[in-house]
Amino acid sequence: MNPIAVALWNPIVAKEYRSRMRTWRSPVAMTVYILLLGGLGWAIFSSMTFAARNSFNGGQAANYGQGLFLYLVLFQMVLLAFITPALTAGAISSERERQTIDLLFVTKLPSFSILWGKLLASMSFVLLLLLLSVPIFSLVFLFGGIELDQLAAAFLVTAVSALTLGIIGIACSTAFRRTLPATVSAYGAAFILLAGSLLFGLLFLTDIDPNATAAPAPPAVTYLSPLIPLITIGTNGPINNYGVRNGNNNVYPSGGGGMACSTTPAGVQSCYPIGPNGASGKVIAGPSSNLVQARGTTIPSGLFSGWQYWQATVTMQLVLSLIALIVGAVLLSPIRHLPWRRRAAAKATT
Amino acid sequence: MIAVEQLTKIYGRRTALDAVSFEVPRGEIFGFVGPNGAGKTTTLRILAALMEPTAGRAFVDGADVTMQPDRVHERLGYMPDFFGVYDQLTSAEYLDFYAACYRQPKARRKKITDDLLELVGLSDRRDQAVDTLSRGLKQRLCLARALVHDPAVLLLDEPASGLDPRARVEMREILKELQKMGKTIVISSHILPELTELCTMVGIIDQGRMRATGPVQDVIRQLTSGRRLRISVLGQREEAVAVLKPLPMIHSLSAQNGAIEAEYEGDDATAAAILQTLTAAGIRVSGFSQLEGGLEDAFMRATEDTP
Repeated sequence: MNPIAVALWNPIVAKEYRSRMRTWRSPVAMTVYILLLGGLGWAIFSSMTFAARNSFNGGQAANYGQGLFLYLVLFQMVLLAFITPALTAGAISSERERQTIDLLFVTKLPSFSILWGKLLASMSFVLLLLLLSVPIFSLVFLFGGIELDQLAAAFLVTAVSALTLGIIGIACSTAFRRTLPATVSAYGAAFILLAGSLLFGLLFLTDIDPNATAAPAPPAVTYLSPLIPLITIGTNGPINNYGVRNGNNNVYPSGGGGMACSTTPAGVQSCYPIGPNGASGKVIAGPSSNLVQARGTTIPSGLFSGWQYWQATVTMQLVLSLIALIVGAVLLSPIRHLPWRRRAAAKATT
Repeated sequence: MIAVEQLTKIYGRRTALDAVSFEVPRGEIFGFVGPNGAGKTTTLRILAALMEPTAGRAFVDGADVTMQPDRVHERLGYMPDFFGVYDQLTSAEYLDFYAACYRQPKARRKKITDDLLELVGLSDRRDQAVDTLSRGLKQRLCLARALVHDPAVLLLDEPASGLDPRARVEMREILKELQKMGKTIVISSHILPELTELCTMVGIIDQGRMRATGPVQDVIRQLTSGRRLRISVLGQREEAVAVLKPLPMIHSLSAQNGAIEAEYEGDDATAAAILQTLTAAGIRVSGFSQLEGGLEDAFMRATEDTP
């Protein structure tokens, strides 16, 4: 076998699959997952049809589709944020507690392979859960309103976020010797990633530059949260009023500067600054202007200007995963082969 | 095959190993003896490249344990003092997993597994779940695991602890078999009678210091100063002591259960001369025997005068 195949497929994966699938826990977890997701889908659908029955307009099938899709992707993300740390936080620390980690260290497996094997095994279970949810998501297409690319982007964001949570979980499992603190810290990290970064956008809003030539966007940190791209994908438009000071469509504060934005049904957002004392002064942008226009799910300004929200999220999360993976690998080795230590040792012996 | 040079390990303020040195040539069984907490496990873990020494160096078949841990792992089978078994796996799967971890090709793994199960007498348990095996059987399975890559050196940490006498004898038979296969074996233990019979070399460690090391008989001789006689006389203890005391070859005399124990320097001829002197002085000797200084005695002596 070539070295890449060896690194990707190592005996730990096969062993983990065996022991995972021989317990009753896995089928139960899969069943509960499907029941929760399906149950939520059913509840949303019933509430929407109930609302439609009592309203004059009745419901548009496409609205059902969009609403169902939005809630399902968000709920799936939250479910996975609960499941993934539980799968990975014990991966290394339970081997330590069972005292089997030394037996792996004395084999020919490099410690990175141990980490990677554990990660691959837990992540393929997450992937299995994602695949199991496909039939539920396919219901959305009965109603329409969602394109296949939206579904693909949403699944990509969900999968990458789960991967990030998984790698952070493994890194926690390596850093803490015991499973309990590892699990607690992995859940803490999951909370920060999902909700903390979202909260950041509420606390540290983007201040508006009155002379800006592009619509304001929430601070870049907030793109770490998978919930933002999932909402933008689900609604097919930017999140109004989030992460931008005085970004409200209808409020024109008389006291200070700000920006008024509006979104057209086509998903075109246009903004114009409000000068001090509510005087709108120069109109820099408007629907007629070609300056300030945020189209659909594109980030209008800032660090990731011109990117899709999901692209920014996936990129930031992959960077975070890579850092966590390196930290985990360095912490795992019983004897750390850092080049400068090796040189120092060689110097000491000569 | 194994060389340990001035190995020192300090945990915080506690010195676990203090300049430990010893060597084990190829094909020897080295008994590593010491009370609990003496530093046996620490030494073995450093030799298995699982821990870095604070100072000093250790080599397994010429490979430095800190610089070339991969080469050390290739040559070394390590069996720790705990079982380390996974539940949900059968004995055969367990061995197959470790054989795969040692990068044994898939085609050979079945043969390796079968051979090892045969060697440790677990062939009829190959499909039994590992966590349902008894303690003795688990221990044997762990020994088989340490052998999956056919290492030249075996490090066994307390292989007999917690085993009943029968399981212990069986373990010893397996180890003898391995010695015949030409493996160099290091066994740590605090159960001495086992080691006296099995080992060709011994190292006595106490409180992180090596008290004695070398071939078993050398160590015994080195630690028990001279040989000992037990002399029983008929009612003439004082006279006998008076005769023995001036003799130049006698180191010390003591009374033990009504008999006299004499430590002397010399060989069998010296012992015969002592008996002759006693009978010539008219002392009626009813018993005269040489005491074997065993490993146990050597061990007790090595570890008693610790500060």
